[in-house]
Amino acid sequence: MLRHKTWTLVVLAFFALVVLPGVVSAADEKVVRIGAMYPMTGRAGLYGLDSVAAAEMAVDEVNAKGGAAGYKLDIVFTDSKAKPAYAVRVAKRYITEDDVHFLFGVVSSGVGLAVTEVSKQYKTIFIGTDHASTRLTADSLQPYYFRVSNNTFQSMAAGALYLKEIKASKPWETIAFIGPDYAYGHSQWNELRFCLDRFGVEYKVVGEYWPKIFAPDYTPYITSIINDKPDILVAGFWGGDTVAFIKQAKPYGLFDKMLYFHPDAGGNYELMSAMGDELPLGLVLSARHHDNWPDTAQNQAFVAEFKKRTGRYPTYAAEGAYAGIYAIANAVEKVGNPDDTEALVKALEGIKMQLPEDPEGFTSYIDPDTHQVVQMQAIGVTVENKDFPPATRMLDHWKIYKAEDIMPPKGYTEAKSTK
Amino acid sequence: MDFSFFLSQLISGLTMATLLFLVASGLTLIFGVANVFNFAHGSFYMVGAYLGYQFIGVWQFNFWLGLIVAGLGAGILGILAESLFLRRIYGRSEEGGFQILLTYCFILLIDDLVKIVWGTEYKSISRPPGFTGAVQFAGVTIPSYNLAIIVIGLLVVFLSWWVLMKTRPGRITRAFAVDREILGVLGVNVPLTMTLVFGIATGLGGMTGALAAPLRSVTPGAGIEVIIDSLIVVVLGGMGNFWGAWLGALLLGEVNAFAVAFVPKWATLFSYLVMVVTLIFKPEGLFAPRKVRKI
Repeated sequence: MLRHKTWTLVVLAFFALVVLPGVVSAADEKVVRIGAMYPMTGRAGLYGLDSVAAAEMAVDEVNAKGGAAGYKLDIVFTDSKAKPAYAVRVAKRYITEDDVHFLFGVVSSGVGLAVTEVSKQYKTIFIGTDHASTRLTADSLQPYYFRVSNNTFQSMAAGALYLKEIKASKPWETIAFIGPDYAYGHSQWNELRFCLDRFGVEYKVVGEYWPKIFAPDYTPYITSIINDKPDILVAGFWGGDTVAFIKQAKPYGLFDKMLYFHPDAGGNYELMSAMGDELPLGLVLSARHHDNWPDTAQNQAFVAEFKKRTGRYPTYAAEGAYAGIYAIANAVEKVGNPDDTEALVKALEGIKMQLPEDPEGFTSYIDPDTHQVVQMQAIGVTVENKDFPPATRMLDHWKIYKAEDIMPPKGYTEAKSTK
Repeated sequence: MDFSFFLSQLISGLTMATLLFLVASGLTLIFGVANVFNFAHGSFYMVGAYLGYQFIGVWQFNFWLGLIVAGLGAGILGILAESLFLRRIYGRSEEGGFQILLTYCFILLIDDLVKIVWGTEYKSISRPPGFTGAVQFAGVTIPSYNLAIIVIGLLVVFLSWWVLMKTRPGRITRAFAVDREILGVLGVNVPLTMTLVFGIATGLGGMTGALAAPLRSVTPGAGIEVIIDSLIVVVLGGMGNFWGAWLGALLLGEVNAFAVAFVPKWATLFSYLVMVVTLIFKPEGLFAPRKVRKI
């Protein structure tokens, strides 16, 4: 009898001491919970799906190495539908029900500006991966927001330096702009002129055009731009609008009459992949990440692995999401846990990430003052290149701009560039 | 403004107007005949663009044949949508509300469908051989493909006029807009006619999608923006008025072309302004014929 009782006690003790704590700890296993929001349908769907694939890729890499400070990364994705009000509901649900440590993602700046308010209110860190409005890291900056991709100011500052440089070899005087009629288009044009003024470049504006976003037809704009005879045409489109504009402008000979200059989203791989041989040579374009620059082992591996997972080459949105996961992993590693938000904020300020878009000898880092990632920017010219099918043109003849030279001046707000 | 610039804006406006008309004509036809406001008309346009990409871009069909096949494909999809779904809500009380909900569902379904089949990357079709360049006329550059679109638009206008005015099916279609019940009593197969008209209208939309694809990007969501402009055209011309749609498209295209030239900052405003003014002062449409009172 006694023996039997002893056994029972032993078994109970075993459960109490070994199995139960195991069950309990399985419930709160050491994980970093990340709540991601990306558009997965409509026009921006490709950016969303590329972001999801690249974020998963980075999560797998980090977890394969044992996670961050022993914590596994656990990311969930929800379709933001590119609608601010909807994304706000998702973000609140992530925080209050799923208890996430980080909000993550967002392609549209409009959605970004809405989600950053939720992040501020609930004191939950929001890692912005692919929305470009400078406002988020200037006028609307709050302590819990960090952005890991370039904003439009950085693209436009690099663009202004490029335009300054080519004055020597190809004197130009007049400039015209066409871009979508919403914050993204207007910011680019304001920031470009702000930077041209700042760098002492002389120019005369001969035309400004604001078609609505996703406008299907640009023909009247094209004939009017040709009539303005600018030396430089600056374009501020993204996605399919760039494709439509270039296709419609080509038979008019627009690209022989002026330099087409598109420094924020013009160099995105989706354009090359969509247009094939129809993409004119000699366009000056850039983007936040290039599949063929820099020519480093890390960038090549990133592009190849993405291709292996999805069957396509990445657009720049992918690298932003990839960067975001490494920002989180590095910060958690530094702090030792994902729960101390204030310590994580401190850790993220100035955090370094070695990214695919970093050339030899440079490491991206987050500026402690503006919470904006500091990165190099490369502007290239379209040339024939069949290494990334279905594209038959890629960028080359790069001009590289140092990260520190293209940051907004201290205390910059968007209001300051508005004319 | 010199004459050649004036002429080049005029032709730009005409190109834009033709594509607007080709989309809007199907929309207004369905509205006029079947009294259905097909929100998803733009989605059939998008399906046509994707089918055009599949046949012309991937399977290397002859371009013009590809246009027709794309139109047929979109038309068949339209026939399925009408006979399987829309038909079930005709004549219900609150039919209007159901129409909006149902056709809006089509937009979502078709958008996801093309994403599953073709993915989210932008697709593109090249202009057909012989139409990649431009012709010079009185100092004006006109891309030859734009010229082809204008000609096709005129052909569609003429052909529709002939069918609607000179043939028996055309007369039945027009009679439909006046009184469906009487036609049924006279022995016309009403449901079949509705289905066919729906198929022709969506087929026209699909063909336009493929026709416009060499100038635009083929992408999920491409149907949404054409529907807005088409709606303006339909309202300008008078809901359900086929010829009105043509004139409405011309007006909208030219207003936009010259607004871009003179007041580029406010160009988009003008298309809406024209619509608002029309709705206030002539809500039956600028080109609506005098109303015949029904007894």
